[in-house]
Amino acid sequence: MVKLSRRGFLRTAGSAAVAVQVVPLHKALAELQSAPKHQPPNWIRDGKIRFRQDGIPKVTGNKVFAIDIRARDMPGWPDTQSHALMLRADRADQRFGGVNETLLPDDLQPDVLIDDARVRRDGLRMTQEAFYGRLLLPVGEPARYLGQPAAVLIYHDYTRFRRARRLLQFNADALIWGAQTELPDLTPYGGARFVRIGGATPGAPDRYSPLADTIIFADFEAGGSPWPAPDRQGDAPSRGMAHAGDLRDELADPPDTWAVYQGHYTSQYVDPAALEPDNGNAWYDPERGALHVVVGTQSPYTNADHIETMVKGSRFDLNELRLHPGYTVGYGQKEHHVFPYYVALAALYGEGRPVRFALDRYSHFQGAIKRHPFDTRMTLAVDRETGLFQSLAADLRANGGGTKNFSPSVGQVAASALQGIHYFPKSDISVQVDASRAPTAGSMRGYGTLQSMVAFELLVDEAATDLGIDPIELRRRNLMHSGMKNTQGAIPAGTMRAGELLDAAGADPLWTTRAERKAAFEAEHPGYRYGVGVSCVQKDYGTGAEAALVRLEVTPEGELHMRHVASEIGCGSTTSQMLMTEAHLGRYCDRVDFAVIDWPELPLHSNNEPYTMSQDDQDEAAQDPHWVPRITSPRSASNSAYYFSHATGEAARLLFDLGLWQAAQSIWHEGIGGGQAAPLAVRRDQAEWRDGHLVAGGLQPLSFGDLARRAHAQGLITGVTVHTFNRWAWASAEFDVDGTPVSGAIDALSVKWGEGADAAKRARMRDAGFAFQPRTRVDYPPVQRNNASVVYYAPQATMVELSVNTGSGEVQILSHKSWMECGNMIVPELVSGQLQGGIAMGIGHALYEELLLYEDGPGNGTWNFNRYRLPRARDVAVWSQQGDVAPPLSATDPPKGIAEVVMIPVVSAICNAVHDAIGVRFHETPLSPERIKEALS
Amino acid sequence: MTERMLTVRMQINGKQTQPMDLPEDLMLLEYLQEYLNLTGTRYGCGQGVCRACAVIHDAADGPRVVPACITGVAWANGRSFRTVEGHATRDDQGAVTQLSAIQQAFLDHFSFQCSYCTPGFVAAATTLVERLQTAPVARDDVEDVVLEALNENICRCTGYVRYLQATRDVILNTPGLTTDEVATRDTAS
Repeated sequence: MVKLSRRGFLRTAGSAAVAVQVVPLHKALAELQSAPKHQPPNWIRDGKIRFRQDGIPKVTGNKVFAIDIRARDMPGWPDTQSHALMLRADRADQRFGGVNETLLPDDLQPDVLIDDARVRRDGLRMTQEAFYGRLLLPVGEPARYLGQPAAVLIYHDYTRFRRARRLLQFNADALIWGAQTELPDLTPYGGARFVRIGGATPGAPDRYSPLADTIIFADFEAGGSPWPAPDRQGDAPSRGMAHAGDLRDELADPPDTWAVYQGHYTSQYVDPAALEPDNGNAWYDPERGALHVVVGTQSPYTNADHIETMVKGSRFDLNELRLHPGYTVGYGQKEHHVFPYYVALAALYGEGRPVRFALDRYSHFQGAIKRHPFDTRMTLAVDRETGLFQSLAADLRANGGGTKNFSPSVGQVAASALQGIHYFPKSDISVQVDASRAPTAGSMRGYGTLQSMVAFELLVDEAATDLGIDPIELRRRNLMHSGMKNTQGAIPAGTMRAGELLDAAGADPLWTTRAERKAAFEAEHPGYRYGVGVSCVQKDYGTGAEAALVRLEVTPEGELHMRHVASEIGCGSTTSQMLMTEAHLGRYCDRVDFAVIDWPELPLHSNNEPYTMSQDDQDEAAQDPHWVPRITSPRSASNSAYYFSHATGEAARLLFDLGLWQAAQSIWHEGIGGGQAAPLAVRRDQAEWRDGHLVAGGLQPLSFGDLARRAHAQGLITGVTVHTFNRWAWASAEFDVDGTPVSGAIDALSVKWGEGADAAKRARMRDAGFAFQPRTRVDYPPVQRNNASVVYYAPQATMVELSVNTGSGEVQILSHKSWMECGNMIVPELVSGQLQGGIAMGIGHALYEELLLYEDGPGNGTWNFNRYRLPRARDVAVWSQQGDVAPPLSATDPPKGIAEVVMIPVVSAICNAVHDAIGVRFHETPLSPERIKEALS
Repeated sequence: MTERMLTVRMQINGKQTQPMDLPEDLMLLEYLQEYLNLTGTRYGCGQGVCRACAVIHDAADGPRVVPACITGVAWANGRSFRTVEGHATRDDQGAVTQLSAIQQAFLDHFSFQCSYCTPGFVAAATTLVERLQTAPVARDDVEDVVLEALNENICRCTGYVRYLQATRDVILNTPGLTTDEVATRDTAS
């Protein structure tokens, strides 16, 4: 029997929810992020943190990843540990005939065999099958893609599990295959087109743009051209196609003053090679209908939601779902990945025993999400005289592999990012993402922009060479300056600062003396060629539907506690969010719960359709103060530094305004005649924190502890919970909190009064000790703003110095230098680490990493790190690299998300440097020794 | 088909393990994780390529790094190993009271991000430091030596810089690990 939840926030249309919780784990047993975190000992020195909040358990080998957890580690779980293994299809041209059980002797037959027939009989289906694919391959059908899950085998002891795995792995007969079938024609996952025709000047209204008019979507069902027929008088898509046609015609027959360059670039199929493979450990207690899931994931909220939906309607009772996300790493690979659902599935069939489902590298490669390979064709028109870009046409084609996953959106993000730091008066950029039988591609660091921006950066360099213009100068002339529109017709947020980075790069001795250095190096190193290359891009952060929840609370003892949706994927967001309170509250968080999915203190619900709902539907839904467009976002898209920090900052600001500032007023006005404050005129905007004390206008400094005690004693507000939403602009709302008007860049609020609150207030605190505050007004960004596609950018320029061995084709990075702008850094060491790590990953992409797509690729289950090269320390110029971060323009510049931009410009800089070294342009990555040797032969 | 078994006992982090009858083809990594619940030594590839599973073997001629994922218990039997759980000083309850010098340096330098590879780097860097105690190198060679010692360990997050800088700093600041340290220290002071 399904029991209705006390919370409605997980409820989607037509579904009944169950109790979904994160249960704190005993710290000594598990350092999973669902256990409360306190400030580590001796964490702060001179007002700054000395190390990551998660540093000590990580460096001492504690159990911090889901993969570290065994049943005996989990409070309340049985001690016995079962183990699951997955059999996957390694071919797609024959009908599936089932598991070959004859391979296993009697004593190694699985304790449980889960196949398609069984899960269907039991009423289990993959949630959002069109997105993730079906749970298991049915007998009689060919695999839709290589690596498709065919069966799950469970063993109740480790010894038999490993023996069975040894017999089944790499065994072509493990699955039975029948009649040959034709590979089917597959309908593409999606296509979109961004047409912008600017006005007479960059500031003039656009004649056509996605933001003002529409993104044009492809229709692959009707046959023929997927694009609407052009019609100048027709609807928005038809008019856009007419503009696109005009643009293409003009490029085919350009004015004499234009130089027109065509480029065709391809990128490879890549696994991010996160060292933690897909894994989880779960226990289903059939007596209580309770499912406990430990899992490595970037999207715990979605996982909880989808697991609930998957089990709902099956024969399995589900009264309670407890999800424990571990610290993890994925570079996007564990964002909306499918594996958590198999972990839950295995547990349901675990016969009451906890089941560990941890993939080895071969199986992980076979099924885990990959980076899309792109084929990018571009035509760029440049005015010969001025070097100014005049027009751009681009057609991108990506391979999305076996299931849809995020393919359509990866394609759109790739297309909308292609321009990088540049401005075009007009542009027509189309993208199509195809389905194939390769293992699924999806979210991965860069999300398509690595592929598209690198391609355009290479074309820019080619154009610069032909025009005889310094590559940095050509970029500088074509900068998208502040207030200019991007290819979607949207004006990006704030100041565009890529020009400063180009200026710094152009003045660097590595650039200004490159000719002399080349001559000297090649004279000293016969058989080697020397080159320097540069590239500059700006990468969006966020998804256009960024939502977050944060709760802050002051204890009577003067501690600051936080609950937060942020989860840790290695970037340090759990560290930085503990610090974001300091600006408003003068104090870092003392205790935090991260990766929180259960928010009874702010009862909200959502249809979770922020991208697709109509304006009318949004307007109507917004009347309900408990409705929000989205509950929360996964940890992805470099979203913590800006979006999560905004939520934390708003919560801190409101807690100060509504609670601590009122407490301060109470103290300062004590005494006859209005106390020490009466003779003074002190305003809220004079408040500041100094040495842990609140000061303002000469009044007595007050410690955080003093304020906490007073706030509680007087029953002032001591806790706030906020929800935030951003659709390329912040939702804002107004509230009436006990007669006090409150406004903020939030869309939902609840408050808690302190221990001295009167009975009336206590009665109102019905939501896990908080009182929900219905908004009196809300302004959501209009749904049309979805078409902006991106407005928040972080720029980075990278310059690479390298040598090419003309005999072996090997490239050696000699040094590199990067210039980045990211607003105010929260933790400079974390930013620097991101930069260094992203560059290393980019070097791997440029020079080494490539997986084959189909039968000889990872879908066949034989791939591991021995099959291709990953960059080592020796490959990344570890002792000779530099990174500069531009100073912020003000103390209030918000931090920008940089986890993705850091890996992009180094790729194109390497390609451009190789050209500088050997005079050959490469249009395909990686630049492997074989390709370089072939080019030199 | 019956499994061929072996009675296994070895020294892990200074303590003798209880004898266990285990499959003779079991790998040291499996023994640590599934039988001793020491999961800080991590599986990355199972091929000895990535070194996430690196542990220290305390051999007669000094410490050396071995990849636990391809080191069989048949070979490891009777030998002595240190895993990442054994580097810090701990109290009776197992709580960390003091990190090793390399662990402290990795922490201070923000060397790791996800930390999946950290135990392997702790093993490799610690082994280097301990070997330099008997075979110090010139200060000018330290960066090369560090690069050589840590180059086989794969990290996908950090770009290696902060791991190598931390190890270099421990070596340069620990008496006895470099041959020309006295003059340099005098200069520094």
